[in-house]
Amino acid sequence: MRDWETRVEQHLVGLALEPTERAEVIAELAAHLEESCEEWRKQGMTEEEAARRTLSEVEDWQNLRQRIQNARTKESIMTNRVKQFWLPSLLTLLLTMGLLMLIQLFGPNPWMVARKSGWTLVAPVAVVYLPWLLSLPVIGAMGAFLSSRAGGSRRAVFSSIVFPVLPYLVFFLLALPVMAIFNDRLAHNIMFGALFVGLFAWVLAPGAALLAGGLLAQMFLSRRLDSRRIVSG
Amino acid sequence: MIGAGVKRGTAELAVLSILEEGPLHGYEMARRIEEQTKGALRFTLAALYPMLYRMEQRGWIRGAWEISASGRRKRCYRLTPAGKKKLSPLRKEWAELYGALRRLTKVSHA
Repeated sequence: MRDWETRVEQHLVGLALEPTERAEVIAELAAHLEESCEEWRKQGMTEEEAARRTLSEVEDWQNLRQRIQNARTKESIMTNRVKQFWLPSLLTLLLTMGLLMLIQLFGPNPWMVARKSGWTLVAPVAVVYLPWLLSLPVIGAMGAFLSSRAGGSRRAVFSSIVFPVLPYLVFFLLALPVMAIFNDRLAHNIMFGALFVGLFAWVLAPGAALLAGGLLAQMFLSRRLDSRRIVSG
Repeated sequence: MIGAGVKRGTAELAVLSILEEGPLHGYEMARRIEEQTKGALRFTLAALYPMLYRMEQRGWIRGAWEISASGRRKRCYRLTPAGKKKLSPLRKEWAELYGALRRLTKVSHA
């Protein structure tokens, strides 16, 4: 009986994995080769012929070593959830918030939407940063691209696109009502108006802008991926 | 005989489908796929294991060492819930692709 483990080990010299993991890979490949060799022997081949036939399953050991290493290490550095959801989501959030802060610091001034009573604006007031809104489709497209490229599901891609508006959604749906209940200084008569205006200005409008760019990018990317799959299989 | 490029794309679907029938080790998996596709899909060791490891990293399959009836240690793979979930859209995608190609070839031969 040939020592397949020694053979595989010799061929896979330089396989940079943890010792236990490396030993497991070698044992698994050796078991496969041993079984394959036995099958050829059963079909009437001599041991030499069977061994040669078995080894012909691997034309390029160096290439196999590289592919095993890639498969077992590269993907483990970052889990799929991180690549497909957290990384794109946090990047879109960072860009969205960073850009908003820059616009607030350096201008231009926001567009204020409110009812006027004489010379004063009457609450609820919506503060709309138009340059920020106009830049969101690009950020949404970036989120979709990163998530799609990492093989994210439709849900992961969608979540990555709209992630930047989630903090606002939580604020308007949870924090604002809680504040209204516990803070006596808030004028309760404007609460509903403020809630709807806030939801529109900070959740719906930015969400739609992010989605416009994100879904467009996703559509383009999935078409490109489909055509690449058809070509390369 | 199906070309190498198309085979690569169908490989993951083949593995997930064969594991849907029950847990298998690599050699048996390759043998059954070859048998059930009448030799159209044939996995060599070099093609099979990098793919299995990649699919395992993605969480679609899980391998565990088991002792076979002959007393040998073998690494058996089974489908995970994520793998089961992946199987149905993958099947749909390939059915759509082959449907489209069938229609296309019919049209071009008409």
